[in-house]
Amino acid sequence: MSEYLLYPGCVASVRELGYEMSMRAVFKRLDIGLRQRDDFNCCMPACLVHSVDYTRGLALTSRNLAIAEEEDLPLMTLCSSCFGNLSRAKYLLDSNDDLRRDVNRLLGEVGREYRGKARVEHVVTTLYKDYGPKGVKEMSAKPLKGLRAAPFYGCHLFLPQRYSGFDDADFPQKLDRLIEATGAESVDYHEKTSCCIGCGSFFGEVSEEAGLKLAENILDDVKASGADAVVATCPFCMMQLEVGQIKLREAKGKEYGIPVIHYVDAFGLSLGADSAELGLDVRRISVSPLLEKLGRN
Amino acid sequence: MVDTRDLLARLLDEKKLSYCQDCGSCTGSCPMAKALPGRYNPRRLLQRVSNDLPELLRSEELWLCAWCYRCTERCPQGIQPTEIFLLTRNLASSEGMIPRNPKTIMRQIMKSGRSVNVPEDFDEWREGYGLPPIGATISPKAIEEQRKIFGEELLRRLEA
Ligand code: SF4
Ligand code: SF4
Repeated sequence: MSEYLLYPGCVASVRELGYEMSMRAVFKRLDIGLRQRDDFNCCMPACLVHSVDYTRGLALTSRNLAIAEEEDLPLMTLCSSCFGNLSRAKYLLDSNDDLRRDVNRLLGEVGREYRGKARVEHVVTTLYKDYGPKGVKEMSAKPLKGLRAAPFYGCHLFLPQRYSGFDDADFPQKLDRLIEATGAESVDYHEKTSCCIGCGSFFGEVSEEAGLKLAENILDDVKASGADAVVATCPFCMMQLEVGQIKLREAKGKEYGIPVIHYVDAFGLSLGADSAELGLDVRRISVSPLLEKLGRN
Repeated sequence: MVDTRDLLARLLDEKKLSYCQDCGSCTGSCPMAKALPGRYNPRRLLQRVSNDLPELLRSEELWLCAWCYRCTERCPQGIQPTEIFLLTRNLASSEGMIPRNPKTIMRQIMKSGRSVNVPEDFDEWREGYGLPPIGATISPKAIEEQRKIFGEELLRRLEA
């Protein structure tokens, strides 16, 4: 049995419980162990904390890496923003001795140290690495035949290349391949690799305005593509595209009705799990149209 | 300690901003520029870092980058606007100029270890969905550690 150290992150474990339920159900089926701790701190979004103090921000992010080294397990995040922050910290400390020395001086004050051994993964990078499209396809007991899925990559899973290294930085493909392996069709559309700003903009009204504008662009494009659902990789993106639909209905009377699921949901369905097991009834936007299309419950 | 100004100087120096070709790839790939035309423009912002710094430190535009790294990935000259903007914000921060919303979230993080507020009875809610408890905050020892790493001076800056 393989094992990971789960980095729950704030958004998934508080705001997207359905996703966490689904992830746990799928990992249980795969017999992957998830070790837990109660002392991880927030990943410390670079756009906030590192903006106030670069070195201390990095030290706070790296405290989580130091804990992972203690456990000697790869750290697996549910959220692409956590993945981005942790991968960035690792990259910066591994490539700049001065920064590493300073960060370790701060970590030393609380009895910790970053040694450069931590590994950072994300639910999707884990599934890709441990199973890949081939493995997913082989395990697919109930292929998602007829489902047209719009992949939404988010940013930090593949940007910038030097921090994440997971996929091509201009035309990422891996999520498409993973989706196809479930038996669904991966729909091409222009906004597939665009940004939702959910994890990067905390500026009040301006951020709200910009976030809604971007959500509208993305949702319009998904709608035009004829996809049945968005398949995302990050709980922040999920939230932006779900809440975006609710707000656009209120503000403009636009009715999208587009289910927003995570890749583990699609994978879980192809494994044969039902919607209760995957927490698909715990979503802001009803997933019923997708289930109906598949003739599943 | 490495000084923020040194880090910034190194980034600005390594690939001098004078290498900027004004090609606009950064702005062309920027989601914030697309969402807020005329109000946010990373190419222009970068120029202001070198020739209009005091004014820039007081401006809202400095805090609008959503750290998506598209500009950094695409700049043909290897300039790293995203990291440059983060470091420039450090200069505003050291002069006590941290905007209100980011400040509120950071206070929340320093108090509970999380960026979102978790109500006291949230674990009962999670249990209802068959999820293990996470606690209203991370462990007290962890909070103490993060406050120590962040330091008294910065904690005070967030309260100001
Ligand atoms: S990192 Fe910031 S400036 Fe660069 S493209 Fe993204 S939002 Fe725009
Ligand atoms: S992409 Fe690079 S070279 Fe082009 S305008 Fe932006 S900073 Fe200058």
